[in-house]
Amino acid sequence: MATIDFDNVQKSYGEVHAIRDFTLHVEDGDFCVFVGPSGCGKSTALKMLAGLEATSAGSISIGGRDVTELGPGKRDIAMVFQNYALYPHMSVRSNIGFGLKMRGQDKADINRRVEAAAETLELTSYLDRRPRALSGGQRQRVALGRAIVREPSAFLMDEPLSNLDAKLRVQTRSEIVNLQKRLGVTTIYVTHDQVEALTMASKIVVMRGGVIQQIGSPDTLFAEPANIFVAGFIGSPGMNFFRGPVEIENGRAQTRFGEQVVPLSVSPDRLPRGEAIFGIRPEHLKIGGETGGTPVSLGLVESLGTEKILHFPTPEGQAIHSLQKVIGSDDAARDSTTMLARVIDDRRYSDGEHVRVALPEGKVHVFDPETQKALS
Amino acid sequence: MQKRSPLGTFGIYATVIFTCAALLFPIYWMILTALSPRTRLREYPPRFWPDDPQWGVFADLLATQPFALWMWNTILVAVATMILSLTVGVLAAYALSRHRLRGGQGLGLFILTSKMLPATLLVIPLFAIFKSLGLVGSLWSVVIAQATLIVPFATWMLKGYFDTIPPELEHAALVDGCSPLGALVRVVLPVAAPGLAATALYAFVISWSDFLYARTFLTTSESKWTLNVGIATLKGEFVTDWNTIMAASLMAAVPIIGVYLFLERYLVGGLSSGSDK
Ligand SMILES: Nc1ncnc2c1ncn2[C@@H]1O[C@H](COP(=O)(O)OP(=O)(O)O)[C@@H](O)[C@H]1O
Ligand SMILES: [Mg+2]
Repeated sequence: MATIDFDNVQKSYGEVHAIRDFTLHVEDGDFCVFVGPSGCGKSTALKMLAGLEATSAGSISIGGRDVTELGPGKRDIAMVFQNYALYPHMSVRSNIGFGLKMRGQDKADINRRVEAAAETLELTSYLDRRPRALSGGQRQRVALGRAIVREPSAFLMDEPLSNLDAKLRVQTRSEIVNLQKRLGVTTIYVTHDQVEALTMASKIVVMRGGVIQQIGSPDTLFAEPANIFVAGFIGSPGMNFFRGPVEIENGRAQTRFGEQVVPLSVSPDRLPRGEAIFGIRPEHLKIGGETGGTPVSLGLVESLGTEKILHFPTPEGQAIHSLQKVIGSDDAARDSTTMLARVIDDRRYSDGEHVRVALPEGKVHVFDPETQKALS
Repeated sequence: MQKRSPLGTFGIYATVIFTCAALLFPIYWMILTALSPRTRLREYPPRFWPDDPQWGVFADLLATQPFALWMWNTILVAVATMILSLTVGVLAAYALSRHRLRGGQGLGLFILTSKMLPATLLVIPLFAIFKSLGLVGSLWSVVIAQATLIVPFATWMLKGYFDTIPPELEHAALVDGCSPLGALVRVVLPVAAPGLAATALYAFVISWSDFLYARTFLTTSESKWTLNVGIATLKGEFVTDWNTIMAASLMAAVPIIGVYLFLERYLVGGLSSGSDK
């Protein structure tokens, strides 16, 4: 039984504020993922929870016990590191059993628990090898074994899959989720990969520049992003944005996308005057209708079989030139003058083809151009 | 791999053989001189093969000089110097490597500059200090003096080694329940074994070959003489038994070879591989 609470935690390295106003409650048994671009402070937050970094201010509790001043060994947590950090001079058996040994368990008990953990992770036949004689995937499992054998009240994992190749990563991803479900141990998992976050988490914390942007379930983050950054970060590919006028017609708000008039579900008094930023997910765009929408000419067509990503230019005058800065996207393919549509159908699309693109009602997100916050 | 041309192979072997010959010839000459009868030492042309080896020279040396005592003193000094230098060096290097100390970079360089001061420059002030501490004539004076020479370089060597060990390794140990010192002793030091062995060997060799400090601080107390001080007294004012001196020097070199053979297995690097991905 362990809940985890960050209460207004701050961390600065000299002038650099790595973490600001970090407040978070994690339920017992949650799989909570910290996600955000590299350098946003995910590892720092995790290390403060582990006791490997001191907090500059605020407090941290695990299972209701204030651990802010406790050392890492006294917090009853286990951690899996990005580079695994296996003890190279010890056998797999000793690596897994080291934490139990340090806690003064008796030998027979350690052995029994190490063998049980090895069994779970299919490491039994490697117990007497040194880490150097294992493959990358096996090393990763030893690192997991070192964590589960202690039966701690929380697992902390810092990008544990980023050193595996793509196929093994997907496979291990579900193994970790299943393991966590079975053990029911509260888990904090750090990754920069939003796909990992969406597929694994029961609760996601999106971070940027040391500040929490949004906390929520994968569905919430996808359907109701709190701001432009989250909307652009979550999703593959992330949300499209464009500028548009805010018009009031018969008491209802609407905007325009090229030739199309798009009704908005937000009440008019919540909208800014003049202009707003609008977002639409690539999978929500309707492509290829006979009428309605606005005509565009396709640019790049990326085909993955039935699934296709279509690139087309943002309608004249509706591109947001400061968008790169807002999203901070490292996705070079994404520029503010291009929009993406994700379609799954059997039609063939080709470069330069003219199609009609329509924005369905109820799927358009509205953001305040000043604060970049979502309006609803 | 590209196949080497025969000429290249020849060049490599020629270089190796020449280098070995140049390095080993003095040792060969020591052995030859030690085993030659005294009357032959100044013969010209010299003989390159001891056709009449005088093995008795070793027994004579042990019978007429307190050679065992010198050896014992030298071992005490070398071992104590090694332990002191390594202890101080490990703690200093670990702190420099792991903690971003204010001015730590400058401090690291400053430590190294003290290595640039010649021992001859330090010997006079050290003598004055040891005199006031009442350490002159004690083996500790030599141990401490040698450590001042060895620690800076040892710290630098070890820091370089610790820098290659990922800090996550200690983090893992801390999470597993080690104290910070426990993480150093149980995880970092075993992984740094090759670096420790190299540093220990360095300390041992420097200490073993010291003459200046031992001669300066120990001359007056004959029972504390080290090998190098003792052997130097074999050089008489009127006659010098070069064969005896060479025999003593040969025996003095044996422990160094022993230490090297013992530490060699740890000197081989690559122990830390396998800890990460
Ligand atoms: N020991 C440190 N000293 C100074 N700055 C640091 C230190 N550790 C991390 N930082 C800074 O804190 C920020 C967050 O780093 P980190 O938590 O490692 O990011 P992430 O894990 O999200 O990629 C970065 O800007 C980084 O440069
Ligand atoms: Mg990180």
